[in-house]
Amino acid sequence: MTTSSHPELTYQPALPISNGKLALWLFLSTEIMFFTGLIGTYLVLRFGAPEGTWPSPQEVHVAEWIGAINTFVLLCSSVTIVMAFENAKQNLPAVAKKWLWATIAFGCLFLGIKAYEYASKYSHGIYPRYPRSLMYDRADLTFLNGVKLETSKLIKEALSTPEGTEVAIAEDVEAVDPASGLSQITPVAFEESHSKVTEAEQLQLIQSGLVKWTETKVGRTDDPLMQKLAIEGLAYQIYPRTFPEHYADRIEKYFADENAETKRRFQELSEEVDGRQQQLQASQQELKKLEQDIETSTDGEKKNAVRAKFAEAKSFADDLTLETTRLTVERDFVAGRLEAMAAFPPGDDGGVNEHHHLKLPMVIPSGNTWANTYFLLTGFHGIHVLIGLIIFACLLPMRLDAARSGLVENVGLYWHFVDIVWIFLFPLIYLF
Amino acid sequence: MHQRDDTSDSPAIAHTAKDRKPFFTGVFVMLLLLTGMSFWVANSPLMDNPVTGWTAMMAISTAKAMLVILFFMHLWWEKSWKYVLTVPATIIGLVLVLLLIPDVGNRFATYSKTRRTSAPEPYHAAPLPNSLAGQSRAGQVASEVTPSKESQAE
Repeated sequence: MTTSSHPELTYQPALPISNGKLALWLFLSTEIMFFTGLIGTYLVLRFGAPEGTWPSPQEVHVAEWIGAINTFVLLCSSVTIVMAFENAKQNLPAVAKKWLWATIAFGCLFLGIKAYEYASKYSHGIYPRYPRSLMYDRADLTFLNGVKLETSKLIKEALSTPEGTEVAIAEDVEAVDPASGLSQITPVAFEESHSKVTEAEQLQLIQSGLVKWTETKVGRTDDPLMQKLAIEGLAYQIYPRTFPEHYADRIEKYFADENAETKRRFQELSEEVDGRQQQLQASQQELKKLEQDIETSTDGEKKNAVRAKFAEAKSFADDLTLETTRLTVERDFVAGRLEAMAAFPPGDDGGVNEHHHLKLPMVIPSGNTWANTYFLLTGFHGIHVLIGLIIFACLLPMRLDAARSGLVENVGLYWHFVDIVWIFLFPLIYLF
Repeated sequence: MHQRDDTSDSPAIAHTAKDRKPFFTGVFVMLLLLTGMSFWVANSPLMDNPVTGWTAMMAISTAKAMLVILFFMHLWWEKSWKYVLTVPATIIGLVLVLLLIPDVGNRFATYSKTRRTSAPEPYHAAPLPNSLAGQSRAGQVASEVTPSKESQAE
């Protein structure tokens, strides 16, 4: 073995970068494909949706300024991590650590704002949920049925305590104290059950005055356009945000017309019911008189004649009672409609859902596709932010000097990539 | 450490431009201005023709992304390896999206009649029902309704 010459073996990297940085860039290139796929799919779905159906930001409670603030926050965090890297490179670990802390703070702020945004969507009933979300693509019979089912579900919920027992306003509130044997009224429970009962009453009014009314209206006409208008009216009352102005005007006109007709019908029915009730009273008096006649009359033949007359009067009175009952029911139904229209005026302050904090099914054309893509895109982005924060936290105990600057750079690269994704998401979700 | 020596994006620049912090602050300000600009576009007359507005916003976003990629991620100072890792990934990503257009993007073009009846539908001005068409008493109805509405509220 010759040892005369020492061959100088020097390491020649294929690429002029460290292994860590190479690995990170390889990872980022897969991330480019991942997010291009996600954002591209969103674009294809959005622009492939039927003309004019994709919800505008305000229709689904997306606030532009919140998105703008989040963009600002993420840009700030990008510049702070750059500063951390520069300071680490210049061997200023203390300064670098401060900038790292600032980055973490901005990242947390971003996630906090995101959480607030998600919560506001959930509170309006906008979320993807299987098998049925609260969003419907059009105002049709499926939607009407959805409102019906949801209303009865909500009534049932409002009338039951968490244990599933029925709430009775007085009884349940009064509990007997086992020690003293005296009954006690818990004010909190009372208030709770009281608000629940108010909610149930409100829902019952919606059920009879809005849902059942619309069902009846749809059932009583053969004109498909009229049926459509009736259901769209209900959709407008629940969630008017998705209605373009010219269409809202038409619905308002329809309601004004219908309300006038309902009032006229109510007047008519009330008069009729009053008339029938007077008739009924008269016929009952007559029946009483005939009854006495039967008892007092001694003549058999005469008695039979009176009996026949009584039977006739009785059957007339029965028919009258039936008719009066029918008219009364109809009158109450119409009155319920008037009451509901007064309680939930169409177009009033964001509709029934907004104004009364209810979660009834809404018509948001393409709303489900919107929600799915929105939560998927922002959700995946949010997960990336979270992972970035975890890695930052791992850097915290280290001394961020020049030797570690490569590590800070790599983490920074990842963080900038997350920022770039948001740079595209912001206009696509908030401004388009 | 050996690796650290290779790490420096480009040692020449790291030595000559010792402090790039002011430069990065300038990039940051540019990014903020561009964000403001896209916010302005969204609420400007450019959105009267949405395609113009969308194109403008996407152009601004691309400019912002380029600023971040080139300077914050130092690709401006990197050697040509940067193309090897980024260009193919971008192309594959775009091809994936383009492949979706016939199937997903144009899905409503091939809907069956049954499917169409439950597809999302915008509110538009369809002809009024016969019973409501040509109603000349709309104003009259409104005047009838308004006072009685108040009396109901009481």
